[in-house]
Amino acid sequence: MPDTLANRLKEKRSELGLTQAELAEMVGVTRKTVNTVENGVFIPSALLAIKLASALNEPVEGLFWLERQASPTGE
Amino acid sequence: MSKATAAQQAEHLSRRRARMLPFLAVIYLTQQATFFSGQASAGVREVDHVKISAWLVLSLVMLLALATNGFWFRSKEVRDLIDDELTRAHRSDAMRVGFLAAMLGAIGLYVVTMFEVVTAREAIHVILSLGLAAAFVRFGMLERRAHRDA
Repeated sequence: MPDTLANRLKEKRSELGLTQAELAEMVGVTRKTVNTVENGVFIPSALLAIKLASALNEPVEGLFWLERQASPTGE
Repeated sequence: MSKATAAQQAEHLSRRRARMLPFLAVIYLTQQATFFSGQASAGVREVDHVKISAWLVLSLVMLLALATNGFWFRSKEVRDLIDDELTRAHRSDAMRVGFLAAMLGAIGLYVVTMFEVVTAREAIHVILSLGLAAAFVRFGMLERRAHRDA
């Protein structure tokens, strides 16, 4: 299975008391984009990931990380 | 216009587009059925030229809307917001599906021509309609899904 990009966007956004719409406005996208990124449905570009991290005062790697899927052979 | 208003407008228009796209595809395909039923019953009449021209204009508008995001009469701020990263990804996927549908339609038509005469105009009509309708349905589905979850 391919690796997935996990994130703590919702957690960090809630900590700052921001709504999806407010965060979306800060980074210049629509609310549905923020929502799909939060839910892991949409993998953002590096540009959007950096914008989101900057808006939430977080390093990109603190907001997004790779979740490696274990292979059937256990490697 | 304030930025908040632009965001609200973009949200509203984006939702409306998601609702409209599948309906537009259905209306477009219905128009094709009328064209082909008319062709079968009689030869090309004056009125058919008008119908074909209308179809051609509609196809062109739909293609341009798909390729450029549409909303040409809105401000750049609103247009940029509506055409954000997720929407661009959806449009790319819709274009891919539309291309695939058009190619499969062409292959299907090629097979049909082994048994039946298909005019160039009919073939173009089928390929163009299939490609556009498939792309619109796909785009609409992806946008609706994204809005439903939001």
